[in-house]
Amino acid sequence: MAEKFLTRLPAEIRPVLDNGVPAVMVTCSADGIPNVTIISQVHYVDDTHAALSFQFFSKTIRNVRENPKAYVMVSDVIGQANWVLELEFQRSETDGPIFDAMDMQIEAIASATGMSGIFKLRAADIYRVLSVEKLSHVARAEA
Amino acid sequence: MIPGRLVTFLEQHANIAMAGTRNRDLVPYGHRVSGWRISADRRTVTALISEQFTDRLVESLEDNGELALTVEEYPSHETYQLKGRYLRHRPLESEDLEVIERIRGRFAKSLRPLYPDAPDDILRAFTLTPRLAVEFEVREIYLQTPGPGAGARLVPTADG
Repeated sequence: MAEKFLTRLPAEIRPVLDNGVPAVMVTCSADGIPNVTIISQVHYVDDTHAALSFQFFSKTIRNVRENPKAYVMVSDVIGQANWVLELEFQRSETDGPIFDAMDMQIEAIASATGMSGIFKLRAADIYRVLSVEKLSHVARAEA
Repeated sequence: MIPGRLVTFLEQHANIAMAGTRNRDLVPYGHRVSGWRISADRRTVTALISEQFTDRLVESLEDNGELALTVEEYPSHETYQLKGRYLRHRPLESEDLEVIERIRGRFAKSLRPLYPDAPDDILRAFTLTPRLAVEFEVREIYLQTPGPGAGARLVPTADG
């Protein structure tokens, strides 16, 4: 069962972004090699933008600067759904309110997961939301 | 060839995975993976793709063959990414479902500290029912455990 929200992040996704469950990001290099990485945080900027933490996933960082398209999945364990975001990289910020908010949250996640000193925010990468889709854990009718 | 230590990790410890493909316009797609099987010669892996995540999968693989699979043990975050070339796909076999059940149990157990009051069936449902098995030849393996070594290529080694 899928619900499509064209180009905007709905209010119901916000607690999912903050639930502490790692998200997954897929990017693709300019020479066509996909890359899948776990990311610790997807930050809500506004209903058409999300920010992703740039910590140490250098291949991902290189890829989105070569090819700005990105795919992100966040999971709602209790709500039994996955949210799929298609994004486009716009810019990188190394200070300011978005960076500061993400830095604080990264520190909290690191502390809670025993990864203090390993997680370190280098930049907040800002993405435009191209599409949002909610995929229920319940199988589709035609399956 | 997948190193023996990594085979042990994949078969006994890893509990969550995601595959990545891309279309001819280099748009990336993600596909949740419910389970994985390693061939006897350790050269190929079969990813059991969750049924909600098969859209655009075969079309992309038949177009360009590129596939990446990231496998993690949660909550330790030990993570590896396997990159390779699509070989074939097939419907599920009964042995696939046995693999899924083992992984489902491991992952539900790993979630329990995060959700102490959640019913078992909710946690077990997180590992989705698979729909399709995709076999690919593993050409490169990267360490992706968070930390200074993340991104290091493990296979092939620098000396080949």
